[in-house]
Amino acid sequence: MEVLLGITGKDFTIVAASKAAMRGATILKASDDKTRALNSTSLMAFSGEAGDTVQFAEYIQANIQLYSMRNSMELSPTATANFVRGELARALRSRRPYTVNLILGGYDKIADKPTLYWIDYLASLAPVPYAAHGYAQYYCLSILDKHHHPDIDFEQGMKLLRMCTQELKRRLPIDFKGVVVKVITKDGIREQEYEDDVKVAIP
Amino acid sequence: MDSLVSQYSRPVHSAEGPSQDEHQELSQTTPPLSLQFSLPPVAQSSAWLRAMTDDYSNPNCPIKIAHGTTTLAFRFKGGIIVATDSRATAGNWIASQTVKKVIEINNCLLGTMAGGAADCQYWLAYLGMQCRLHELRHKRRISVAAASKILANLVYSYKGMGLSMGTMCAGVTPQEGPALYYIDSDGTRLAGNLFCVGSGQTFAYGVLDAEYSYDLDDEAALELGRRSILAATHRDAYSGGFINLYHVKEDGWVKHGFNDTNPIFWKTKLEKGEFSNVTADLE
Amino acid sequence: MASGYDRALSVFSPDGHVFQVEYALEAVKRGTCAVAVKGSDVVVLGCEKRSAMKLQDTRITPSKICLVDTHVALAFAGLNADARILVDKARLEAQSHRLTVEDPVSIEYITKYVAGVQQRYTQSGGVRPFGISTLIVGFDPNDKTPRLYQTEPSGIYSAWKANAIGRSSKTVREFLERNHKDNMDREETIKLTVKSLLEVVQTGAKNIEIAIMAPGKLIEMLPVEDIEKYVESINTEKQEEAASRRPGRTPGTGTAAILTRGPGEGTGS
Repeated sequence: MEVLLGITGKDFTIVAASKAAMRGATILKASDDKTRALNSTSLMAFSGEAGDTVQFAEYIQANIQLYSMRNSMELSPTATANFVRGELARALRSRRPYTVNLILGGYDKIADKPTLYWIDYLASLAPVPYAAHGYAQYYCLSILDKHHHPDIDFEQGMKLLRMCTQELKRRLPIDFKGVVVKVITKDGIREQEYEDDVKVAIP
Repeated sequence: MDSLVSQYSRPVHSAEGPSQDEHQELSQTTPPLSLQFSLPPVAQSSAWLRAMTDDYSNPNCPIKIAHGTTTLAFRFKGGIIVATDSRATAGNWIASQTVKKVIEINNCLLGTMAGGAADCQYWLAYLGMQCRLHELRHKRRISVAAASKILANLVYSYKGMGLSMGTMCAGVTPQEGPALYYIDSDGTRLAGNLFCVGSGQTFAYGVLDAEYSYDLDDEAALELGRRSILAATHRDAYSGGFINLYHVKEDGWVKHGFNDTNPIFWKTKLEKGEFSNVTADLE
Repeated sequence: MASGYDRALSVFSPDGHVFQVEYALEAVKRGTCAVAVKGSDVVVLGCEKRSAMKLQDTRITPSKICLVDTHVALAFAGLNADARILVDKARLEAQSHRLTVEDPVSIEYITKYVAGVQQRYTQSGGVRPFGISTLIVGFDPNDKTPRLYQTEPSGIYSAWKANAIGRSSKTVREFLERNHKDNMDREETIKLTVKSLLEVVQTGAKNIEIAIMAPGKLIEMLPVEDIEKYVESINTEKQEEAASRRPGRTPGTGTAAILTRGPGEGTGS
């Protein structure tokens, strides 16, 4: 029951990932960060098979960094997304595929636009204005369908995210321990403070 | 047949210059981390292993793996407390009551054992070797982050082949301070303040979570560790024997005994009046 | 003279030489000069840059100073093409180290790796040694001590306070030995680097490249205008020195080779 969410707006991309690390019936950690920064303008959030997730994310991170060192230039979010998809597709046809779902948030400095990519473990890639993985899809996509507009400002984006996490807190049967929120803008990636303890009531 | 054809149909010059492998070898200055084991000639090693070892579904299985444990470790201001029970079970059979489930990797790094006893013992000993080599190569002690990552990468490379281990790496280094990592055979590796691992983990968590605080003093922390294991040995059939207690400090770990649970249990019951479900008087 | 002992790499001559490795050192001596100097809290890399041809695009012609990781820089002397391969291997190792140990490489570690690769290419069949020496500089993670190492084609590596490799490296090293002081600040360190390079680079600022590393900061390539300022101030200093040493003679005549401007200019910088 991991939660991954992504929302784009006028000049930003918000990526949120649940903080619980679960093994069996136990929450081992309530402050897990399921995101990795690939370079200054791309961020990957991941969920899926234990072990695979971090291994894949850090493998990608190292390769994107290596690209930056070799070429003295950072790979664009779009190129990054296609590279990630390619690696996932290659592994899918190997003896042991990575079972990992991804959300890739970025900011394209050339087009001056925020970007968001949805990638699943079967290596489908889709550019989207907002995205979710896991059970969060069933609750949040309808909310985002109704309330999202491409030209919203950051405050409105955070409000939308709040609507999503509140609904998940309300109806998801397992506590996901709140979310880590990262924001990607033209200035880079930053972690956003996020109040997790807001009370919810089921009507 | 294909290999036979390819053996004779190589282009004339293909043998010139170093091959891909040789290239790899030329830039690899240290030996590879993972050992090369020969594997049994079966398609699905984990399924095969399960068939051979699953005591639950097949009581006559040929191999019985030692399982069942309670281990815990937590960080606090005075360092890290590591505590374990000492029982090894193979199915419903108590194979040993005196297992050392804390593995001394070096004089300031400890590992704990849960899951397959052989897997843990072997790979933690191997980790100890890698840590020493790191120390020699880099002229400084390995960080706990690096040591735990070596182990995590290693078990990850055997993922799906039936390894079974849940371990914690605890250590104090000048760069990191007290550091605690959880690693399991899925390849998960988590840094944290407090972990309990094994079949008795839930019982240990119950006692530990309620009274844990980072600002515990040394004596209280040791007592909490001991009491949490006691709780697990009392309720979990697969945990028991002795309480093995360690305190990891800046200048290395200190062992605080390997004590029989039985007297500790009675002392706790009679002096503090806990475990009131157990009646002490014979009537 | 080598009587066949230089034909195969892995064959010793009777007096214990591996000729191919020594020829590689010869290639290094023909390469353009590179200098590195440690200050108290900086380390500066300086390179002689070959004059560009008229139609060459200098903006995208690769530099002799490369980044191995964000905190490690490498300068080399010798065969450019060989260096590219070696640098790439080092970059890969730097990222691989981050991936497996979660820490960036220490300068000594990456030096040892580079030297290790160079050594392997002196002891394997079918390969040729790297025709380059390297200067590897930077700061270890969470550390403020400047580091400077040198590697050679044979796979030897060594630590230095200041060193030079490549063409006329002997002259430059002797110059550094005479002028290096402990605990130099940033300005002094850059100046010493430029000054030592001017011992062998006659053409001035446009043929010099300077990179500065400071703890926790990204590499800084000094713009040509700034290098020019250093060159000018060094030149005027030299003239003044020459003038005071030989009273009665017109200033500048003693250092005609580097005098490109009037004596009054650039005194302020």
